[in-house]
Amino acid sequence: MTLPAGQYRPAGSPHAGLPMTYILNRLLSVTLTLFLITLVTFAVTNILPGDVAMMIMGTQSNPEALTGLRESLGLNDPLLVQYGHWVGGMVSGNWGDSLIFKKPILGLLGQKIVASAIIVVLSMAIALALAVPLGVWAAVHRDKWQDNVSSSAALLGVSLPDFFWGIVMILVFARWLGWFPSSGFVEPSVDPLGALQRAFLPSLALGLGLMAHLTRMTRSTMTGILSQEFIRVARAKGLAERTVIWRYALANAIGPVITIAGLQIGYLFGSIIVMESLFGYTGMGWLTYQALLNRDLPLIQDTVFVIAAVVMLTNLAVDLLYVVIDPRIRLG
Amino acid sequence: MKDIVSVDHLRVEFATDSGPVVGVEDVSFTIAPGETLCVVGESGSGKSVTSLSLMRLVEFGGGAITAGALNFVRADGSTLDVAAAPPEIMGQVRGNEIGMIFQEPMTALNPVFTIERQLTDGLMLHKGLNQPAATARALELLRSVRIPEPERRLKQYPHELSGGMRQRVVIAMAMACEPKLLIADEPTTALDVTIQAEILALINRLKRENGMAVLFITHDMAVVAQMADRVVVMYRGKIVETGTVQQIFEAPREDYTKSLLAAVPKLGEMKGKAAPERMRLIGDEAARATQTAPEPREPQVLLEVRNLTTRFPVKGGILRRTVAQVHAVEDVSFTLNVGETLALVGESGCGKSSCGRSILRLIEPASGEVWIAGRDIGALNRRDLRRARADMQMVFQDPFASLNPYRRLKAQVAEPLQNFGLASGAELEARVLQLFDKVQLPRDFMNRFPHELSGGQRQRVAIARALAVNPKLIVADEAVSALDVSVQAQVLNLMMDLQEDLGLSYLFISHDIAVVERVAHHVGVMYLGRIVEIGPRAAVFDNPTHPYTRSLLSAVPIADPRNRRFADDLNFKPITSPIFPLGHQPAPSLYDQIAPAHYVLRA
Repeated sequence: MTLPAGQYRPAGSPHAGLPMTYILNRLLSVTLTLFLITLVTFAVTNILPGDVAMMIMGTQSNPEALTGLRESLGLNDPLLVQYGHWVGGMVSGNWGDSLIFKKPILGLLGQKIVASAIIVVLSMAIALALAVPLGVWAAVHRDKWQDNVSSSAALLGVSLPDFFWGIVMILVFARWLGWFPSSGFVEPSVDPLGALQRAFLPSLALGLGLMAHLTRMTRSTMTGILSQEFIRVARAKGLAERTVIWRYALANAIGPVITIAGLQIGYLFGSIIVMESLFGYTGMGWLTYQALLNRDLPLIQDTVFVIAAVVMLTNLAVDLLYVVIDPRIRLG
Repeated sequence: MKDIVSVDHLRVEFATDSGPVVGVEDVSFTIAPGETLCVVGESGSGKSVTSLSLMRLVEFGGGAITAGALNFVRADGSTLDVAAAPPEIMGQVRGNEIGMIFQEPMTALNPVFTIERQLTDGLMLHKGLNQPAATARALELLRSVRIPEPERRLKQYPHELSGGMRQRVVIAMAMACEPKLLIADEPTTALDVTIQAEILALINRLKRENGMAVLFITHDMAVVAQMADRVVVMYRGKIVETGTVQQIFEAPREDYTKSLLAAVPKLGEMKGKAAPERMRLIGDEAARATQTAPEPREPQVLLEVRNLTTRFPVKGGILRRTVAQVHAVEDVSFTLNVGETLALVGESGCGKSSCGRSILRLIEPASGEVWIAGRDIGALNRRDLRRARADMQMVFQDPFASLNPYRRLKAQVAEPLQNFGLASGAELEARVLQLFDKVQLPRDFMNRFPHELSGGQRQRVAIARALAVNPKLIVADEAVSALDVSVQAQVLNLMMDLQEDLGLSYLFISHDIAVVERVAHHVGVMYLGRIVEIGPRAAVFDNPTHPYTRSLLSAVPIADPRNRRFADDLNFKPITSPIFPLGHQPAPSLYDQIAPAHYVLRA
């Protein structure tokens, strides 16, 4: 026999764990994770072969000058001190200079993260806008032809690599139809529409790749929800079928879909490295690629940290959104 | 008076891969205004299909009405054939002129919408009310189903309400538009007996006040006896017999009805009988005709439980520390004799299952002693405990979940024998054969998989598996609760036969008090982790002394239409929380002896 929920809560606190507790809880764990990320990032970049001083001055440089530069960069300090400098610098807004771009990293990252945010948000929006209706459609017509069409479409999206879709987009929308520019980047602050136009094709290509998981997730959660008793109750109330599906059922099914979408943000930062390069779009992905290619260690270190932090914070946002969607989570 | 519903030769088919399967056929009945018609039958009888057809909800489960008419007299006096009604018309009828309540209150409400939203959306749709008017009506509805603090409930979400309250909300939802017909599909099957009594009384009152007709679907003959004006008995998609409730219970014509009624234990029928009795099964009288009362033997203690206490941590806060404890089992003591059955009864959450599991150390008790055949179970190390498990076995509630779907039954019954190194090779084969014989399963079932068996057959396999190691004690945790009544009677008889033949002792954990009255030698009533009353079965049933025992017994529906108990509103004391802060020291359980071996918890 199932225990009636609601009976097993400590006396005197009907809401054992209000949303605040939950949010604090999550913030604390995010802070802890960010700290671990700085540790890992710092460790990995310091294990990487290569010497920042040598990279700045070139391999043929004077050994004494190299030693001097090392000293002035603090490379001879104990690792713990170097780590302290790095984290302390980030906290105080001094993120150091990029070796290849000869510019302050903070400004560079700020600019590029906005550029990439457009692509990330746009591609996720496209993916969700396609995947949710397709998944719902498949779930409603489970085991009929619509279901097969939906899962084939989703499978097609995921089985071909992103850059292939990128090439198709360039061919179809830029070359043949001429609707969008095939490549390039403009500052959104200078030309917002132009920035969106240039972000659209890479976003569409990425969105098609993202769509598959989201469609399947929508389908499977919707299928589960549609077999629940409260759906039958909603129908028995005389509610229209579209209300039953798009309000009653989807409100319950959307949570896991958004969770998956949040996790995919992490993958997206991997995918934009290829996609931005393909479209000549100079965002975070392109910056990461340049940093890695040129062994720009300070830039690599900061870029990795920023990407990790963005992924973390996105997932935090998703978790908080979940609290809004599903009242049961508020119990913490 | 003109019938409000007349079902005429209804036939429903379900499309499957191997062609259409008939769900129900040739089903005809009528319901008059203000009348309660009970449709009763075991699983697969088609009773739910019939009710879903009246709402045209059967289509959403893959069914189709292929013949017959379902005439329903609408609010304006016109007659609508529901079977042929277009979807727009059905949208007006559903929830407006016909209300429906379902079995599972825990899942019948949408978890992400407030109670207010779920109560008002139907009102706004059907009655054209605006939000404030709908909310006012919702509040009125919550009052009429007697929910405590109705204003607060409106803003709450379903998970914040107990099962009984949720079912009241579901009923309020169904009643929202004052339907002329209420369909109740097993509305109390998932509820505790006191809550069931409250809900049945509530349905009776609402019916009386609104003059509506009720179509009541149930598998429980006792509930039928309490609720019905007329009864339709269904079996395998067809109607077996129709009649008034008195006719059906007192002069059933058909053999199926007779056997169904025979298998139902009636609370109170064991009055004045010393020993448990086998369940009545038509055609089974001969099987044990020679049965005589067993020789009264010197009672010999098998299981002794002293001051058993089990607690579960409640985790909370940022560090997931234990912030409180569920006092699941609180200072419980009893003994169980060789060859006897001690039943632990109580409602969900009372600790009866935790008690059974703590005895077997499937969960570790916090304190207390358990002695089985003179051995201190609590003191055993892991290896010795494993060996000791041969003496104590368990049969679980759900025969679908307790068997491995991927293994043949032979292997599953043989497994305990192999685990304990008791048999191998040809001997193992022979022992498994014997076990199948013992639980009266055909030998060729040995090579089958669980999904090929019915629920009752599976439970026999579970019993065979428990018997394999010749245990002295079997903890049967709601072991027959998931079974149809006739199958339940067969399995209970099997258990009683095995007890007589093998001298088994049962700790019989159950919420079904009528069954307990029939099978138990001793009864312990549990409430909030404690045994509030324990004694010989006759003493507890004939002279219930603790207030909780009394209210529990008064809530049990009796399978006799002349003994109706749920006319007026009932309000049982809700069970309080068994959660206490850390360091809470509960008082010890102290008992008054009011008769030989009959103890009652001191208040």
